[in-house]
This record gives sequence, C-alpha cells and structure tokens, in this order.
Amino acid sequence: MKEHCSHQADCLKMIQLILDGEATEQQLARLKANLVSCQPCIQMYHLEKEVKELLTKRMEKKCCPDQLVERIKTKILTFS
Amino acid sequence: MSDTPTRDDQDRTGAPDHGMPDGPDQLLPDGDPVEQPSADTPARRYTDEQKYQVFNKEFMPHIDSMYNFAFRLTTDEDDANDLVQDTYLKAFRFISSFEQGTNAKAWLFRILKNSFINDYRKKSKEPAKVDYQDVETTYNSEDAESEHTVDLRAESVSDLIGDEVATALNSLPVDFRTVIILCDIEGFTYEEMAKILDIPIGTVRSRLHRARNLLKEKLRDYASSMGYKEESEE
Repeated sequence: MKEHCSHQADCLKMIQLILDGEATEQQLARLKANLVSCQPCIQMYHLEKEVKELLTKRMEKKCCPDQLVERIKTKILTFS
Repeated sequence: MSDTPTRDDQDRTGAPDHGMPDGPDQLLPDGDPVEQPSADTPARRYTDEQKYQVFNKEFMPHIDSMYNFAFRLTTDEDDANDLVQDTYLKAFRFISSFEQGTNAKAWLFRILKNSFINDYRKKSKEPAKVDYQDVETTYNSEDAESEHTVDLRAESVSDLIGDEVATALNSLPVDFRTVIILCDIEGFTYEEMAKILDIPIGTVRSRLHRARNLLKEKLRDYASSMGYKEESEE
C-alpha cells in the first residue's frame, strides 16, 4: 500500500470527475486500481464522497412557498 | 464492495419525461435567451393555449429547484421570492424562444442566474464583497497548486449537520457557491453548467475544483471548532 503519492493534485481532480459522473472509462479504471493500492487516494475518495453527500443529502431543500406559486400563475393569466 | 465508484447518474437533472434533444446545441438557445432570442432558434409560434401548456408542464415542475437555487444565491427569502417571480415572468414573456422538449430546467436556471447577476447581486447582502477575480487568481497561483489537498478527513465531516454545511457554503464567493449548487445540489452536468453560466467546460471544471477546496477549508474550520482532533496518518 502506497502511503505517499506525488500525483495527489491530479488524482484529486480525477476523483471529483468520477464522483460527478464526468470521468472517462480509463479514469474510472485508474481510480479503481488506486483504491486498492494508494492510501492518499483512498482518503481523498472518501472525503470527496462525504462532502458531496453532505451537500446532496444533508442540506435542507427550500421549497417554493404556495403563495408565490399562486401569484405567478395569476400574473401569467393576465399577461397576454 | 459498496464503495466502488460508479457513474452516479441517479441525481442527474431533468424531469424524467423530457427526452433530451439529440443535438447538444439544442440545449439552450445561443446568446441570452431572455434579452435577445438568437437567430439560430427561430421563435416558436405558440398559441396562447400552447403557451400556458408549456409553462405549466415544462416550467412549473422546476419551481422548487428554482426557489432553492434563488435562496442559496441570495440567502434571503424575500429576495428569493422576487427573483423566482421575475424569472418565471421573463420565461413566460420569452417563451417563444424556448423549444419544447429541450432542457427546460437548464433554460430556466440560466435566466435566473442572469437576473441574479443583473438585478440582485448588487443589493444582495454579501458580506464584504470578495473580488472573484482576486480569488481565482490566488487559486491559480503556484502556491495554491502545491497545497492542493486540504487536511481534512472524511470522519471529521460525517457528523456535520445541514445548517453547518449551508453556512460554510454561504461563506464562499458567489461564483464558487454557484458551481457547487448547480453540480452537487441540482445535479447538472458540466456541459449544462457551461451553458447556464456562459463559461467553457474547462472553466466549470477548474472553478468547481477550487470551490470544493475552499469549501473543505471552511468545513475543516467547523469540524475542528467542534472539537474534532485532526488525526494524523495512521
């Protein structure tokens, strides 16, 4: 298991692409290999995944107030 | 192994029923869809009835996402209300430049983003306005490249709650906040983001990267202020 790595900056960018669903098959394959052999990659992967999940799952999603929906619909009707 | 990375498509944007158009350029009209419908996208001749139909079926389903985006941008409920209303009225006024079956959500987000920049940014309650150019330049520098990773562990952020994440996000300059919202919260692809923001995909990628590094720094401050000990390498 590799404890240190000199490509961390590039690997981090790659990890983000992968989590965003924007990576190529080769990048995906490279990360899979790194995840069994490179400690910094494993840590970065888990951190990035956790941060992304914080944003997607744990942040409150504000819903549009009903009055605003009604107001917009009313305004639209008097438009033309 | 459940942690094997996969292309995570489940949160991808777009109402399920919208067939995305084949041509990538069909995503949004060129130029500003609000102020000047482009010559490449001839105005649709919708009847009044069709206009209401498009509005209700294609635009209204995105109103919660739009409100959430507006709220995250303005960090103020009244401003979010006004911004969403302005955006929907503009969308209706310029509905002839929207092509049915194309990505309505991205089209609407682009209008909202432009309205925000033109009308709200100046009066929004941004604390001590950060010069975006400055920040981007700093992060482009060699120094920033060498300290690419933030000293933070997944375990230290796993207990953070939504409000803390929101506060950390709000503390980022608005351009950085915007890419994170679009990507991580709304699930837009890089290509969609490029069109919403009028920037090249490469800029989307690098801005997102910098935004996340900044966010992690904020989260680290949070995590350590909550008493987590920065663990060192095992």
